[in-house]
Amino acid sequence: MNPALQAWGYYARWTARWPGVAALVPFIPVVAIWWLVASLEVFPRAFFPGPAEVVRGFVDLTYKGILPAYLEDSVGRLLLGAGFGMAIGIPLGILVGLSQTAYRATWPIILFFQAIGDIAWLPILLIWFGFGLTTMTFVIVYTVVFPVVFNTVLGVRSVPRDLPRAALSLGAPRWRVLTEVILPGALPNIVTGLRNGLGYGWRALIAAEIIVGTSGIGFLMFDARRAGSATEIVLGMIVLGLLWYAVDAWILAPIERATGQRWGLVTRT
Amino acid sequence: MKSLEIRNLQKTYFDPYAGTKVTAVQDVSLDIREGEFVSVVGPSGCGKTTILNMVAGFLPATGGEIRVGGRPVKGPGADRGVVFQSFALFPWKTVLDNVGFGPKMRGVPKAERDRIAREYLALAGLSHAADRYPNELSGGMQQRVGVVRALANDPDVLLMDEPFASVDAQTRMTLQEELTRIWQEKQHTVLFITHDVGEAVFLADRVVVLSKGRVMRDIPVTLPRPRVWDEVTEDEDFKRLSAEVLHMVRAA
Repeated sequence: MNPALQAWGYYARWTARWPGVAALVPFIPVVAIWWLVASLEVFPRAFFPGPAEVVRGFVDLTYKGILPAYLEDSVGRLLLGAGFGMAIGIPLGILVGLSQTAYRATWPIILFFQAIGDIAWLPILLIWFGFGLTTMTFVIVYTVVFPVVFNTVLGVRSVPRDLPRAALSLGAPRWRVLTEVILPGALPNIVTGLRNGLGYGWRALIAAEIIVGTSGIGFLMFDARRAGSATEIVLGMIVLGLLWYAVDAWILAPIERATGQRWGLVTRT
Repeated sequence: MKSLEIRNLQKTYFDPYAGTKVTAVQDVSLDIREGEFVSVVGPSGCGKTTILNMVAGFLPATGGEIRVGGRPVKGPGADRGVVFQSFALFPWKTVLDNVGFGPKMRGVPKAERDRIAREYLALAGLSHAADRYPNELSGGMQQRVGVVRALANDPDVLLMDEPFASVDAQTRMTLQEELTRIWQEKQHTVLFITHDVGEAVFLADRVVVLSKGRVMRDIPVTLPRPRVWDEVTEDEDFKRLSAEVLHMVRAA
């Protein structure tokens, strides 16, 4: 047998047993190029740290406890904001999706406020709430709400008309139609909205931390700039990417598999 | 079981694109006795599905009256079970939970409604599929679940809207035979909407031909029961009746 084919077969069996490995393999060439560019000193070392320096920086900041503390702050803020964002976005989306009157009354307002980007709120928020958690939470809630609302509306409207009808003719009162039919029917779209919302929210949070900053990954990066430490900036960027990958792969994707895909509402990828 | 009375039923609606009033159902009166199976046939656009939607309470009538067991119909209700052309099974519920949905809404405890659901699933030969999700079943099996779900809720009247139109021809014949068998066992009052003349005659005690929102003819079917396709296809009465009805539908 062809040795390359043999290696491929070995690789396929191996990654089937440890799916985490399959997610890391694509990064091998990326890290290799990074390492090559850094060690050829195309750019001065102080401006363009290599993988080894970043790993050293990671160990150093973790050992000092700074990285875990900042990570906890950032993730905590994101969860708080996302929680409020869902608490507002899902009921609003269901209302707008179900009621033509609510749609007409609120849609122009929703579009108007969507157009004012989250970061555009920062100047006025800083005047109102100062440099603190309220300002950052507001920004995240603001970012999370719109994708959740839009996707919930879409989800509610994509429930086939015969399903609520079937429930009603089986004796379901109106509120049970909501909990038994509309909500589960819209769930795959709500998860999609949440996924988008969290992604945008995560980015908005970093931006807010850079400006508002007292702690957090965004603050870490901006603070490192002042000290001129390119290593810590790159480290911050890598943490952002890794953390998002973890949230998506370990939390959001399993929810999608357990709901929409299992029910045949969403096709498998 | 209860009777179904439809008196001078009318449905007009405003067509915003054409800017005119459209009459879907002009004036339809139809009585179905307790335990009687009535098929309504007609060409597309004759108003047959609109009638069913009004009887089910999904659409308000613009005129006339609908009574189930003498009580006027106001909105959808569990006294009228509906079987949909689209099956309308809940994709996020297992077959067992789909069939147990009606009893659940009545507040029947979990163990009891599972027992009811299993009993009805057995009636349609679906016991093995109880724990599967609808999208894992073939179209024919899905509609068996659709029928069984309506029956398990013990409705007074069963409304069926072209239920077998989207399954393949062989499966359709099997489903039609199963339906006549179950109907003979349970003796439900049935309003069955279809555009398939053979199906209408095969299943029913009476065939009502609809045209342009009115009842054109009301024909009794006296074929012996139980009916199975192998015998009915050869039956002279069936051939004569089907030809007669087909002629009327095409002229309608």
